[in-house]
Amino acid sequence: MSLTADKPISRRSFLKWTGAATAASVTAAQAPVLHALVPEKKAGAPAKVENRFSVCDMCLNKCGLIARVEDGVVTKLDPNPKFLKSRGMLCARGNAGIDQLYDPDRLKYPLLRKGQRGEGKWQRLSWDQALDHAAEQFTKIAEKYTRCGVLFTPGSDMQSTFVRWFAEVFGSYNVTTHESSCLLSRNRAYLDTFGEVPFSDILHTKYLIMAGANRFEALITPDSIDLMTAKKNGCKLVVLDPRYTKTAALADEWYAIRPGTDMAFFMALAHVIIGEKLYDQAYAAEKLYGVEQLGEHVKQYSPEWAEGECEIPAKEIRRIARELAAAAPAAIIYPGRRTSDYVNSTQIRRAMAIVNGLLGNWDQPGGLLAARQVGLSGPELPDSPFYEDNPDDRADHGRAHMMFDEEGSFKHMRDAIIEQKPYPVKGWFAYKINPLQSVANRNKTLQMIENLDFILTVDIAMSDTAWMSDLVLPAPSYLERQDPASGLQGSSACACVVTRDPVVPALFESKPVFWIFKELAKRLDLAEYFDFTIEEYRKQQLKKLPDGERALREDGVYYNPSKLYGVYEGRVYKTLSKKIELYNKRYADMGVDPMPIYRAPRRKPSGKFRMVVGRNAYFTHCTSQNNALLHEFMPENTLWINPKAAKRLGIRDGYMVEITSKAGKGVLKANLKEGIREDTVYMLSGFGVLSQGLTNIYGKGACMAEILEDYADEISGNMAMHETFVKVIRKGA
Amino acid sequence: MKTKLAMVIDSSTCIDCKGCMAACKVENKVPAGHWRNWIKRPEANFIAMEKAAGTAGGHFQPGNCMHCDTPTCVQACPTGATYKDEKDGTVQVNDELCIGCGSCIPACPYGARYRHPQKKIVDKCDFCEHRRLRGDLPACVVTCPTKARVFGDINDPKSDAARLLKQNKTTRVIHPESDTEPNIYYLNATAPMDWPVKAKIPTPIQLWGNVAKPLVWALVGINALGVLAMLGKQFILPDDDNQENDQREGQQ
Amino acid sequence: MNGRMIKRHSKLSIFLHWFNAASWMFLLATGIGLIKNPDLQPLGMWWTHLMWGLFGSGENLLLGHIIGGIIWAGVFLIYAILGIKQVAQFLREIFSYSPVRDFMWLVKKGVQMTLGTRALKKLGEMLEKRGASPEIAAPRIPEQGFYNVGQKLFAVPSVFGGIVIAVSGIIMALSNVYFTNTAIVRWAILIHFITVGLVFAGLLIHIYMAAIAAGERPAFISMFTGNVPEDYARHHHRLWYEEVKEG
Repeated sequence: MSLTADKPISRRSFLKWTGAATAASVTAAQAPVLHALVPEKKAGAPAKVENRFSVCDMCLNKCGLIARVEDGVVTKLDPNPKFLKSRGMLCARGNAGIDQLYDPDRLKYPLLRKGQRGEGKWQRLSWDQALDHAAEQFTKIAEKYTRCGVLFTPGSDMQSTFVRWFAEVFGSYNVTTHESSCLLSRNRAYLDTFGEVPFSDILHTKYLIMAGANRFEALITPDSIDLMTAKKNGCKLVVLDPRYTKTAALADEWYAIRPGTDMAFFMALAHVIIGEKLYDQAYAAEKLYGVEQLGEHVKQYSPEWAEGECEIPAKEIRRIARELAAAAPAAIIYPGRRTSDYVNSTQIRRAMAIVNGLLGNWDQPGGLLAARQVGLSGPELPDSPFYEDNPDDRADHGRAHMMFDEEGSFKHMRDAIIEQKPYPVKGWFAYKINPLQSVANRNKTLQMIENLDFILTVDIAMSDTAWMSDLVLPAPSYLERQDPASGLQGSSACACVVTRDPVVPALFESKPVFWIFKELAKRLDLAEYFDFTIEEYRKQQLKKLPDGERALREDGVYYNPSKLYGVYEGRVYKTLSKKIELYNKRYADMGVDPMPIYRAPRRKPSGKFRMVVGRNAYFTHCTSQNNALLHEFMPENTLWINPKAAKRLGIRDGYMVEITSKAGKGVLKANLKEGIREDTVYMLSGFGVLSQGLTNIYGKGACMAEILEDYADEISGNMAMHETFVKVIRKGA
Repeated sequence: MKTKLAMVIDSSTCIDCKGCMAACKVENKVPAGHWRNWIKRPEANFIAMEKAAGTAGGHFQPGNCMHCDTPTCVQACPTGATYKDEKDGTVQVNDELCIGCGSCIPACPYGARYRHPQKKIVDKCDFCEHRRLRGDLPACVVTCPTKARVFGDINDPKSDAARLLKQNKTTRVIHPESDTEPNIYYLNATAPMDWPVKAKIPTPIQLWGNVAKPLVWALVGINALGVLAMLGKQFILPDDDNQENDQREGQQ
Repeated sequence: MNGRMIKRHSKLSIFLHWFNAASWMFLLATGIGLIKNPDLQPLGMWWTHLMWGLFGSGENLLLGHIIGGIIWAGVFLIYAILGIKQVAQFLREIFSYSPVRDFMWLVKKGVQMTLGTRALKKLGEMLEKRGASPEIAAPRIPEQGFYNVGQKLFAVPSVFGGIVIAVSGIIMALSNVYFTNTAIVRWAILIHFITVGLVFAGLLIHIYMAAIAAGERPAFISMFTGNVPEDYARHHHRLWYEEVKEG
């Protein structure tokens, strides 16, 4: 703050030096205090400053950033002004990336478990020892249980592609991602309606219904930013959420919808739109399949009927339907992202997709957009080996109608491992993923862990999953890494390529998972499959983009000026009928409802509450709660409970409450909120940790994953996390 | 015209993501437990929401030191360590001159200042002076997802901030008894409006100006009068009336 | 009158006196210059600007003031420790009073210095008429010791004031190094200012009495040479003179 340049002597340093003299006379006993002062900037030469590009990794958005490095220390992360997808911004988490890099709690060396799992006793190994040990363990499991005896769970990361590749060359089909706790039901529904999963052109839309999504807190770029711009330009935002989130607060209309009844609302919208012929009939004839069947089907779903289910007044439903149709095609039922809520989640999203279809908004400004061409090429990798003794299929195969093979279902995989059916899975390689906090029913995950012989986690912090592992390997943060190129879909903002090069060298002994696989491959006779560098890999990816390397180097991002609207001109839809399927032919053949049939959510037992899940803008899911900066925004999670419901239980604001379900329990503070339904409670994820290696949050709050019971969407196997009923009692003042 | 740096904020676009608070904290090494900026929100009116289904009515208000034109914090500072910089209109703190007495802290109606626990002097938003010196905008402005904060010289008609001020109705958040003429302008309306407190100049400083200064003047004045009287007697009255006579007398 | 001189002040006393005087001038000038708040500045902002200009910046001025203060307090602290005997003697002297005699001295000397010897005589006659004793009525100024009561009454607040100023100054100097409770710093600022003001008020009289007043010329010179004429000593500090003659 001082206006003056460096001075040879400042008052503080002068006092420091004479501190001994003055201190002796006044505060002899306090002398050490005088010397423990804030370090002064050294007089003399200014810091050597470099600005380096990277993309953020504090969440999945990968916002472009410019890191300011002074004398080898990263002092600030600023947004890359040229980064269109983020509209040149960096959120609270993005700024807190420095605290991830310099986290005193971060993993530093390979650690081998001593004592029991969860005791937290570790032995430091050298990398050679650690990798030898891992290779040995995986070999043992492969020999006894086939290569499919090892489960691989890659998190959402630019190096996760190498986890998949390693699993492939190692020979395991059992690769399960985070997506089965997140968006698989949405993907399923939209794939089965439009033939592909769309992006929303929020910037240009005029009417947006957001059900269950919370874009002003669960930030997605450019959606979250464009939503505000669209609002300023007159877009109407209607939010359906049992909770008064920040999105609900900033909406034009908010309805505290009864949880799990969204399908009733959307089928009623379809009822009005078709009944009053508010859709473009020419468009429907050309592009929609099943309008007549749908029209018949939704006759039963009147707004009056829907009001009884979702508790939104019929006249509002009718009015909204009319307004929505009037704004079409620049009107969107927002597909959302995390749809891991109900056992009929896919069908709920089918209902939403169907209304989108009726609005004729596909491939239009302000509507749903097809993926844009990014232009990256697949890398040239050798053919992976074939292992004869391998089983036929994934361990979780067949447990859901239409599981995504590349993503699997963590819930079903977990069940398979516990049951050891269809075959035993005994090893687990976890990369940058934390199912003990992110997946419902923590105790079941712990049970799964008991059934495993060897667990290896690669992470940057001692997450709960790392804490329960046998071998923990330290990974560098994104600011220390070189990564392959990655394509990003930015809807109407852009289609772009990003990559990473180290901003600072890797701290401690952390090593990227790519290097770990290279080393493991050497020890497992698979070296030929990892015989390349990231640079070579990247070059192959960029080979069809001649300007790619230059743009990445000079701008921190490469833009492909690919088509935005009209991508489907002259093309057919990737469905059986080659049209947008309001009626899904394939479902009918498989014995799945071809059009969503309303099923009321499971009845809530009296005296209990339904638990819902949600996010905020300063934590990413169940990571970053321990981040020194972000931690200040919320030192612990609390239970949102309606004041009327709380009063009946004798609970006051700030009281400790105990919350129990069939899966587990937790103790945390009550947070009385009028902005939540009386039948619903909510808590944020990421607290109540097992790991004592997360020193800022250990002992704080309760664990959402422990309390949630594990249900799954019947069609996609996506976790269903809003099906849990909980009992809440007062614990003390 | 002299530069006058200020901020024009469209608080209706704020989503309370805390980006500005985080960016500022990192950029200015603000210690844990303290903030140079903030986001306020009014209490939601759920009764109104219950009555008219569908109404939402949320609002968030980002803010920071208002770099006021008649700052009460400057009024409270004994050493002039905090001052209004005539060059650019900002209110600054000279770290080398501040003795950390904290008098300015309760004197701010907005609670914009805090005492740095390690440096033990006062700290507050300085519109990221070090960033401005290298041609960058303040960290909070740059990082905001919705670009709610617009920063610039409101005396320069070509600046975005000046243009926004000219083309829009704006409002400022002011305590009725402490109008310090703040320089953060909120477009159209903002909420909450009633959160600033009355500026309190600490008692020792008030006593100094109101009691001690006149008291010291009075005492010095009385003694000076005494000296003047003696001086007068020494140089105006005749010689035989001075001490030499007395000495001679005493000797006898 | 003889021309004989008696030793009144040691070289150390002389040094300490002028050191104190110089320090005070410096600290007063810089200290007032540090008040940049027009509401609080007793002299006027012109003084502040002058001092800022002289030192180049406010922080240089503050640094100078603190260094000056440390040297001033430090020297006296060292003296207090090393010269404890002289200090004790000095303190004994300035704290010893004979109330009636000293009060009379104050009144008579005061009248004489402002209104003159004639007025003093007149006052005595008036008092005698009302029944005052000849002793009291006489225009003769009562005897005094090494220091007259006027000097003692300035020395006492100077010593106390000096300690208060030093301590409050140290609190302010260390405020951004040590203190977490700022209320103590704020009060220290106020107390520092008031105490300086009070002592300064007394300083005006001291400077007049010591350096300007006619009959005090030998005393002023003794602050350089260390010696006073015997006659002067006998007349102005009789009780001390008697002691010295005996010893």
